Amino acid sequence: MKKRHFVLLSCLAVLLSSCIFDTDDSTLSRWLSDQGLPDSYKVQTLSVENLNVLSAETFLDTTPRSANDRAIWGHQANLLHDLVFDFAFIDSAFFADLKKSDSARALIALYNLRPFYSSKNYPSDSLPLKEDLDIKVSWKLDAGSKKAFVDSIGDITDSAWYADLTGWEADGSADTSYSLSLKAKDTLVKLDLPNALVESMKDIKKACHLQLRLSIPEAARAYRFYGAETDYSPIFQVRTLSDTNFKSMYPFRMAGLVSNEETCSDCQVLHGGVMDSLVVEFSSKEVLAALEEFYGDDFPYVIGDSNDVRQAVVLAQMTFARDDSEGFSELGKPIQVVVGSFVDSADAVVRKMEAYDVNRKLVDSVGHPNMVFYDGDSLSLQVTYGLRDFLNKASDGRTFKMMMRLGYPVLAPMDSLYTNYINDKGDSIYVFFSHFDYARYDFTSMMKSPVTLKLWLATKRGDEE
Amino acid sequence: MKKILSLLLVAAVCASASMIGLDALGEEQTLGGMTSTAGRGFAGGAKTGDAEGLSLSNPARAAFDTKVVFNLNFLIEMMAAERHGQYFGTRNVSLPSFNLSFPMGSFGTMGVSLWQSYASVFREEFQDSIKAVNAKMEYQSSVYEIVPSYSVRLPVIRNVSLGASAHIVMGNSIRSLTLGPDNSEVSDDDAWATNKAKITDYVSGTWELKNHPAYYTFALQYRGRMASYFFSYTMPHTLLNDLNYNFRFSEIDTLEPNRHEREIKIPATLATGINLRFKKRNNVMMDLQWRAWDEDVKNIGGSYSLDDITETGDDILASIGFQRDGSSLYYDPYWDRITYRVGAWFKQWYVKNVDEFGGSLGAGFPLGRKGTIIDFALQGGKRFVDDDHNWEETFVGIRLGLMGIGNWGQSRR
Repeated sequence: MKKRHFVLLSCLAVLLSSCIFDTDDSTLSRWLSDQGLPDSYKVQTLSVENLNVLSAETFLDTTPRSANDRAIWGHQANLLHDLVFDFAFIDSAFFADLKKSDSARALIALYNLRPFYSSKNYPSDSLPLKEDLDIKVSWKLDAGSKKAFVDSIGDITDSAWYADLTGWEADGSADTSYSLSLKAKDTLVKLDLPNALVESMKDIKKACHLQLRLSIPEAARAYRFYGAETDYSPIFQVRTLSDTNFKSMYPFRMAGLVSNEETCSDCQVLHGGVMDSLVVEFSSKEVLAALEEFYGDDFPYVIGDSNDVRQAVVLAQMTFARDDSEGFSELGKPIQVVVGSFVDSADAVVRKMEAYDVNRKLVDSVGHPNMVFYDGDSLSLQVTYGLRDFLNKASDGRTFKMMMRLGYPVLAPMDSLYTNYINDKGDSIYVFFSHFDYARYDFTSMMKSPVTLKLWLATKRGDEE
Repeated sequence: MKKILSLLLVAAVCASASMIGLDALGEEQTLGGMTSTAGRGFAGGAKTGDAEGLSLSNPARAAFDTKVVFNLNFLIEMMAAERHGQYFGTRNVSLPSFNLSFPMGSFGTMGVSLWQSYASVFREEFQDSIKAVNAKMEYQSSVYEIVPSYSVRLPVIRNVSLGASAHIVMGNSIRSLTLGPDNSEVSDDDAWATNKAKITDYVSGTWELKNHPAYYTFALQYRGRMASYFFSYTMPHTLLNDLNYNFRFSEIDTLEPNRHEREIKIPATLATGINLRFKKRNNVMMDLQWRAWDEDVKNIGGSYSLDDITETGDDILASIGFQRDGSSLYYDPYWDRITYRVGAWFKQWYVKNVDEFGGSLGAGFPLGRKGTIIDFALQGGKRFVDDDHNWEETFVGIRLGLMGIGNWGQSRR
C-alpha cells in the first residue's frame, strides 16, 4: 500500500511538473551561449599542399587462392595465372579397363564464364578471342587401395593444400597445344591432355589422387572459366576401351596460382583482381606544421597522456596527380581505387578500410574522383579514419600510412549512389561490374608528384582563441 | 528493496537539477536532503529524539537514540531559471540520501548513510530549424559518499556525546554533447563533407578522494532539558575527478581519449546549532554551517567558450526552524500525533555570488502503531545570482521521506 502511494505520488509529481514548466529552444539557446556551451561544432577546412611521399611499396600475395568460384587462366598484365585441379576417386573396374586399353585418351573441359564474355560491358570487338596456346601440363599422382585413402584426401584442409601447392614438384609433365577460339556464345573449351598423363595412370589399381596443373606462360591474355564449386564445374574425362567407355570426374576443389612477372623493382604497380596493395607513407612534419599555423597551437599535443582530442577530423581527402598512360585495362572501364588506413585499435595497429562520402555536386558534373582510367588528371582518396587516428596519436612520432588497391570496374561513374540499386522503374542499375578487370596500373609517377591533403576539422576551441 | 528500485526507476526517467555550477560540482544536497530536516528549513542538527536518526553535520547526535532508525529520502524539484526576461523550466527527481542508525545502548550508536553530496544533472535536446541546428546535451555527475559513523555518550557526563564519521567518496561524471556541424566558415563547395556528420564530445570520469580513503567529521553534542547544542568540524579534503576527454563519431568509433585529472580542494566545514525545547513538545532551532573556500573550482570545461574555473565564495548555511513533535501515544487523536515543522534558510553557495533563500513547511505522519513515519516537506525559494552567465532560479520542491523506527535488539520492558 505504502509502495503504491510512493510510486503514484512520484509519477503524479513528474506529470504535474512537466505541465508547469516547459522548455523553449530559443531560451535554451540563450542559456547555452551564456554558459559558453556550443549548439554545434565549428567546421573548418585546411589544405596542406605539396606533401611528399616518404615511401611507397607494393605487396602482392602469391599464396595460391581458391578458384572454386571463378577461375582465371593465362597471362595478363605481367601476371601469370595457373590453375590446379584436385581430383580423388576410387574405381577398380575403370583402372582395369584403362590398363587394358591401347587407345586411352584424357581431356579436360572448362566452361567459359559466359556472363562475363556475353556481357554488354565486355568489349565485343575483342571477340572472338583466337589464340594458339602452348599448354604446360604437370601433375602429381598418388595411388591408393582403400576408400579411406580417398577420404583422407578430403580431410586435407584447403589452407594446407594451398600451402602444399606453393612448392609444386610435379611427378610428371608434358606439353600440349590447343588452338583456342572463343566467341560470346561458346560454352566450353575441351583441352586434350597429353598421353604421358594417361600412361602414368595405368599403374593405378583402385584409387587415385590426381593434382593437375595447367599453365600457359606464353599466352597473350587471361581467360575466365567457372570454378569447381559452380554448376559448371570443369570435367576431367578419360576414355578407356571405346568411345562409349569413359569416366568423367569433377575436381572437388581448384586453386589459382599467381606469379608476378613485373621486372621493375622501383616501380609501384597494382593489378586488378589479385588484391595486391600499395602502402604509401607520408611524413608527419608538413601536416603538423600546417595545423600549428592554422590553430596557433602546439602540434603534436604533449599534455596529459598526449592523445590529442582538441579537434576531430570530420573528413580527410588526399589528392594525387594522375596519369593513366602507363596502365592497361581489359574492359576499358574506370576502376575504383579502394583505400585503407593503418589505425590503432586496442593497442595494435590494424588496417581499416576507409569509408567513402560522396560529393554529389562533383559526381554529377565530372564523376567520382576516386577512379583510374577515367577523364581528368587527379585521384582523390578519402582517408578520414586514418587522419583521425594520426592526429589523435601524432605525439608518438608516427607517420601517416595508407593503403590502396584496385577495386571493381565502374559502369556508372557519374551515378552518385555509388552502389548497385533498383531504380524507380524497377530496373537494376549496376554501378559496379561484378567481375574484376585484370588490369595493370602504374602508380610510380603519381608517387613522385606532390600530394594535397584537405582536412575538414571540427574544433573544440572557443571563440576567443 | 522493490520500493527503492521503483523509486530509482522514476528518478531515471527525467532529470535536470539546478543549472548553476553545472561545470564545477553541481548542486549540493544540503545536509543529505533529509525530509524531516528540510521541513524545518535545514535546522535542528542539535535536536535529539528517537525519530531523528543520523545527521550528516552532527554525527554525535545519534548517541542519544534508543531505537534503530531507517530513513530514505526522495526529492522532486521543479525550477525556473530566468535571465534577460526569458524563462527556462526544468525538473529533477532524486534520492539524495539513505540512512540507517543502530544504537547499542551504552556501547554507543553505529550508523551508515549513503549520500549524494553533489549532482550536476542536465539533459536537453535542442533544435533550431532556422539555424538547422540539432544538438543533444547531457550532464550527469554525482559525487556520492558512504558515511559510516559512530557516536557515544561520555561515561560520567551522560548528557554530552562525541561522534565521528568517515566520508568515503565515490561517483562518476559524464558530459556528452552531441552536435551537428556549423558550416558557416566553410565554402559552399566544401559543405558536402559534413552534411550529416554528428559528433559527440564525450567526457567521462570518476570521483574519488585524493590520497585518502576518506575524510572525517568530528562532533560534540550537549543535550539539556531545555537547550541542546552541537559543534562539528569536517576536515578539508581534495576531490579528484579523473576524466577522459574524447570525440565519438559513434559508440564504437572514437578517438583515443585524453586523460585529465581535476582536483577540487574543499575547505574545512564548521557547523553549530542550538535547539530550545519549550512546553515539552515544541522546539525552536537554529543552525549555522560555514566553509571558507580559498581556491576556485576547476571546471569540467574542455574548451569551447566555457570557463576553466568557477569562482568560489564563502559557503554559508544559516537556518532557523520550529517543530512541534507529534504525540507518541497511539490513542491520542491523529492530528496530535502528527509532527509539524516550519523553517527558513539562507544559503550562500560555493559558487561566488549565488545566494539562496528558501522556506519550507513539513509534517511527519505516523503510520500504524509500529513506528513508521512518512515525512513530507514542501519547500520553495529563490537563488539570486550576480554574475555574467548564471541564471536566477526559482524553485519548488516536494520531499518525501520514509522513516522506520524499530526496537531491534531491545528486550520488552
